[in-house]
Amino acid sequence: MSKGAREASARDRIAAQRAAERKRERRKRLMVISAVGVVAVAAIGLGSWYAASQDTAETPALAQAPATVNSDGTVTLAKAGVTGPVVDVYEDFQCPACKALETSSGSTIKNLAAEGKAKVVYHPVSIFSAEPTKSNSIRAGAAARCISDGKQWLAFHDKLFQNQPSETVEGFALNDLVSWGEEAGVTDPAFPECVTTQKHAADQESQSARVMREAKITGTPTVKLDGKDLPNEVAFVPAKLREAVLAAGQ
Amino acid sequence: MAADIPASRWPLSAQGAVPWVTTIARLVLGGVLIAAGWLKIGTPALSVQAVKAYELLPGGVATAVGYGLPILEIVVGALLVLGLLTRASAVVAGLLMLAFVAGIASAWARGLRIDCGCFGGDGTLAAGQEPAYLSELLRDAGLVLCAAWAAWFPPGRLALDSALGLSDPPDHHDDNEENVS
Repeated sequence: MSKGAREASARDRIAAQRAAERKRERRKRLMVISAVGVVAVAAIGLGSWYAASQDTAETPALAQAPATVNSDGTVTLAKAGVTGPVVDVYEDFQCPACKALETSSGSTIKNLAAEGKAKVVYHPVSIFSAEPTKSNSIRAGAAARCISDGKQWLAFHDKLFQNQPSETVEGFALNDLVSWGEEAGVTDPAFPECVTTQKHAADQESQSARVMREAKITGTPTVKLDGKDLPNEVAFVPAKLREAVLAAGQ
Repeated sequence: MAADIPASRWPLSAQGAVPWVTTIARLVLGGVLIAAGWLKIGTPALSVQAVKAYELLPGGVATAVGYGLPILEIVVGALLVLGLLTRASAVVAGLLMLAFVAGIASAWARGLRIDCGCFGGDGTLAAGQEPAYLSELLRDAGLVLCAAWAAWFPPGRLALDSALGLSDPPDHHDDNEENVS
């Protein structure tokens, strides 16, 4: 082999070595990047799954606790003799977050009452000051006041949240309210007229103003446990709500 | 005019500042994302409600976004703060911010009266509260700029990308672009 050829092959070897090294480096970089990417995507997937699992509603109990409609428009849900812990639920039939509360924690609240672990008091209030939400809310609240049977009231309450209108449109039309009441089992012959004449609209408004002032409600929904506001991180997470109520009953 | 000259031909003093600006952009954007995700992650039901308040996505999609968005924000925010996969994270963060800008602008244009739900809450305004669309839009537009800068000049100082040798070496920049993105 001539000297020139030897030098050329040495140069080739060095070049090949460098190329291999670059390739190794590149592969290593690619592996680290893929690993970080996989971990990040897995964390996002796990986190989403965990969020969904936290937001899983309980199955409603077959037998509900007896419900009583009180003269001030509130409704008590409690087994006989159960006086505490007291869970106060302040909600507006038109408020989307109240619907979210009902969807997530509504069954837990009712189940706790059915199990005799809590006395639940629903306070339907109308908090909106602008249209169309203000009138929507008062129409629904006034209609609920036309029902004197606790069981029917609770079924109507659930129907109202299922059929909650968007905040941008006029909803809770009077004839709809009447038919939802009848679907909820209301048989009182005075019910349709009570709803269509909005007999209790003024009561609904004055009661709301009084409750907001006296219970210091700043927004709906507010869930109180023995008079103290529960944070959203508890009220909206069924398992945590159950845990808090059970702990208060110890 | 300095603005017309590509970064490589800026005076040395300005060139030295570029990576630090990237670091600041990463920290601001990442910090906001982490805070926004953290304030939402404890109440998935409200996070879903806040997405639904925009009335843009069909129910099932809105629910999935409501569950996934807080953790996505936290993970992307953490990557940005650490300077890990900087360019990819900045691109994702920028796209997120553009989506938020589009959502808020659309809510405004349709006359909805909602809170952006950016930092928790359910998307409804408190009694007597007015929508703050303009300031929300300006804030998110500023964050889009942070994302664009970090995607353009990654990874900046104090970045794990540099420590792990993941950033583009200057001599064969083109080789590595595909790895990063």
